[in-house]
Amino acid sequence: MAIVDGLPARFFLFLQLMNYNQIIELFFIPLAITFGISVGHSQIVCADVEILPASGERADFVFDSFSKYISGIAFHGIAKVNVKVDDQVPANPDCKWMLSMSVENNPASGTPDDEWEQLLSYGAGNFSPAKIEILDVRVSNICHTSPVDGVYQNFTQTSDIIEVIENTGIRIDAGSCITNVNGPGSYLANYDEFHFQIDFRIIPGFNYDPGMYQLQLVFSLVEVP
Amino acid sequence: MKSKLFILGVIALVMGLHNGLFAQLQDEKSVTITMDLQPILQLDMETTDQIEFVFDDIKDYYAGITKYGATILKVSSTVSWDLYAVGRSNGTTGAEFWDQVIDYGAGNGTNSINELPLSAVELHQSQPNNGAGGAGITATYIDYSTPFPASTVHNGANSLYVNNGTLTPPTVDDKYLAGHSGTTGVGDDAMEGGSYLIEGGYTSDYYYVIDYRLLPGLPAIFPNAFDADAATAEDLVTVNGAGSYAEPGVYTMYVQYVLVEDQ
Repeated sequence: MAIVDGLPARFFLFLQLMNYNQIIELFFIPLAITFGISVGHSQIVCADVEILPASGERADFVFDSFSKYISGIAFHGIAKVNVKVDDQVPANPDCKWMLSMSVENNPASGTPDDEWEQLLSYGAGNFSPAKIEILDVRVSNICHTSPVDGVYQNFTQTSDIIEVIENTGIRIDAGSCITNVNGPGSYLANYDEFHFQIDFRIIPGFNYDPGMYQLQLVFSLVEVP
Repeated sequence: MKSKLFILGVIALVMGLHNGLFAQLQDEKSVTITMDLQPILQLDMETTDQIEFVFDDIKDYYAGITKYGATILKVSSTVSWDLYAVGRSNGTTGAEFWDQVIDYGAGNGTNSINELPLSAVELHQSQPNNGAGGAGITATYIDYSTPFPASTVHNGANSLYVNNGTLTPPTVDDKYLAGHSGTTGVGDDAMEGGSYLIEGGYTSDYYYVIDYRLLPGLPAIFPNAFDADAATAEDLVTVNGAGSYAEPGVYTMYVQYVLVEDQ
């Protein structure tokens, strides 16, 4: 009985001796770390996301006649992006994705963020290197699921990001054949929505330094919770 | 110590949230795009194979003979450019003189001169040179756009640029059809890339109609022959002394038009 009586007494004393710092140390810190770890692992909403280029990972524009400088050169369907997003098992209703594109110009070599990387300069001209903005990119698919479907887009600098499929926070299931389809699916089963054709066009004009230039167009597929 | 632990806890919380934002599955693919911009300088010229000046009337000697619109120059360029004309010959009588093909008669008088200066040829261009506005251009006449003066006026405004029989470009003291010596920039000493096809045709800076005049005078001393800077007379009397005149005969020379990237 004496032992039973003594327990409540010690517990009361323990709480009385704890101050603010002890509460922080014993409860807040472990809680914060646990929460951080749990959040870190709670964002995976799909089983897999993957871009599969069907063909053509390189486009070579050669401007060797005056008519090409005036009218430009366009390559239709020179690149293709096939999207494949697998749902989890069991299915997760939050599995959604977005697709975006950006450009990269090897900034480590000192290329300004609004110019093509110049590999070679011809002659001794008094010009400036070509600007990124002369590259036009057009994305399309059969269901016109992209908000920018069929319209040439361009970049003014490397930090520009163009969303092919936007992150609207709303899931639109495959098979809907409407704008921003972003649910799980595959170009194999939903070709009209998950297969994108990429067109390029360049009209250089007469203000840029003749030479050989290079640019990377990067497509990013990301799941969004 | 406990305040440090508190900060550590906050960092752990932020890191956890941060990791959560970037823990998504993602994939990237890139397409390499190369662009080869090759420089193109294209000069289209419409002209007869040979422009003949036949002086068989005394008034032709006095007034000269003018060939209007004998040459049309059309420019297409993807880079900034200069255009100039230079008088040349085979050099049979000297680097800066016409070639004498035939010498009429046997009269080779003391004052009869067969060294006719190439700069005796006068040019007139239809469009002024709009690419020579820079402060560094010191030429008295930057181009050949001045109308041919009266036959009694001799100022070198239209005399052809010659440089010892070579193609060497004119300096800041000389004439260009378009653009000029130096690389300061478009308008100052260069013309902007473009083409007569899309820049307004015959009224543009890419289209030049060239007139030619040859004025022997009487006696035939070619009084409008001047050095490229328009300051040094090269007529036969100034060069060879009083009483000099051109030896009758057939002479030939050629005008070379040079389109170059701005330099």
